[in-house]
Amino acid sequence: MTLHVASVGMGRFGKRPEGLVDLAAEAANLALEGVGRKTVDLLVVGSMFAQGPHGKEALLPRLAGRLGLETASGFRVDSSSGTGAMAFHAAALALESGRFERALVIAAEKMTDRPTAEITRDLAASLHTTEAVAGATMPALAALVTQRYLERYAFPTDVLDAVAVHARAMAVENPNAHFQKAVTAEEVAASRPVALPLRLLHCSAISDGATALVLERGTGPATVLGLGQGFDALRLIDREELTSFAATRVAARRAYEKAHLTRKEVEVVELHDAFASFALIHTEDLGFCGPGEAPRWFESGWVTREGRLPINPSGGVIGRGHPVAASGLAEIGEVALQLRGEAGRHATAQRPKVGLAHAVSGIAAHNFVTILGAGGP
Amino acid sequence: MPPLELVRCNACHHRFLPTDGPCPKCGSVDCTTYSAPPVGKVLAATELHYPAAGFHAPHPLLLVEVSDAVRVLAIADGSLPAPGALVEVRSEGDVYRARPEPTR
Repeated sequence: MTLHVASVGMGRFGKRPEGLVDLAAEAANLALEGVGRKTVDLLVVGSMFAQGPHGKEALLPRLAGRLGLETASGFRVDSSSGTGAMAFHAAALALESGRFERALVIAAEKMTDRPTAEITRDLAASLHTTEAVAGATMPALAALVTQRYLERYAFPTDVLDAVAVHARAMAVENPNAHFQKAVTAEEVAASRPVALPLRLLHCSAISDGATALVLERGTGPATVLGLGQGFDALRLIDREELTSFAATRVAARRAYEKAHLTRKEVEVVELHDAFASFALIHTEDLGFCGPGEAPRWFESGWVTREGRLPINPSGGVIGRGHPVAASGLAEIGEVALQLRGEAGRHATAQRPKVGLAHAVSGIAAHNFVTILGAGGP
Repeated sequence: MPPLELVRCNACHHRFLPTDGPCPKCGSVDCTTYSAPPVGKVLAATELHYPAAGFHAPHPLLLVEVSDAVRVLAIADGSLPAPGALVEVRSEGDVYRARPEPTR
């Protein structure tokens, strides 16, 4: 069965006054309007955080009621920062079963109303228990990985600065991005240390936001061509490699095989740059270049909207902001917008025919690759 | 300094730090703990300036390689050692701590 993304709804990412249900409903209504409010018989919702006041408990029926979808069936999924991609994959699998016609997929997060230390602790809960009890956080483990990456290829930290500059430059053209101001390499290098070598502007921010899209039977410019997932050891110390993520490599291989495509046919990419160094590692793991070659791509401008392979034309996680559960779906949504010719100011110079979205759960313990493209099999 | 407790998988021979589950490489539960010298080399070191609730900044964390290429995530005691430095590692329950190896 062939499926395609029929519409994408995305509100502004950033510090928002609304609660979780309102953010989710805003994106959902945009997506529903995009298909003329056609009947939806499946609702898949993803969220990682948001305790009682935000309605995490019973989030699904709250949203179903709010959106008038009580006749639909529904699921809620959670895979930390990969939640949005998992929601999309779950919806696709359910539609492929033949029991449903059209799914509304929503991923939303409310984060900015809580202290940073609390959010940091709750994000670290997706790490292995023995890492969390040592006080490890996502940026801490990312910093250790980054050190190994820089040391392995004898790169200066400038290579990280170039990624952050790219992300923020792309975000300026995305009206829904959290960050609307470009930064210079000097500003990145002078930003506050988070966990060296990672500085504040190398890291994704705490944001509120939601994305929704309608996935239905049929074909279109954003047809689902291939889905892939991959796991890796949850505990970083148990990984064979520290400068490459097996979960991405496995997910990509499976998605390329399913799509009967190679990386050479991919014309736009949204990857999960929660940290600047991760953008480099993901670019390599997705097969777009060899190990240690990604910095050249970012420093040479090959990844801009006019470049040979546009990467994160939305601004990515660093530029668009990182409402954790929503990011994975925003990545897929951005690729769909580019393929559908609906990306507006952040459209790539050439409208792409094939795009790839990549999402990461935790410290790359469960990653997702989604390939969309024109037409059908 | 007491020896470090490590685990050997009898199915795939992978060696690893004790965990709450089976062998992280092959999933076998047929594993044996053994003692190893509590000394390792720092692979990477960082200080967290935005620690999680319950920890204080700057919080020093090390990635250390001990014997049999087993890696340990440890809290550094004292000043942050540079990558390549030798450290003594000890466990306090689930938490590992490391300090510069005394010169002999």
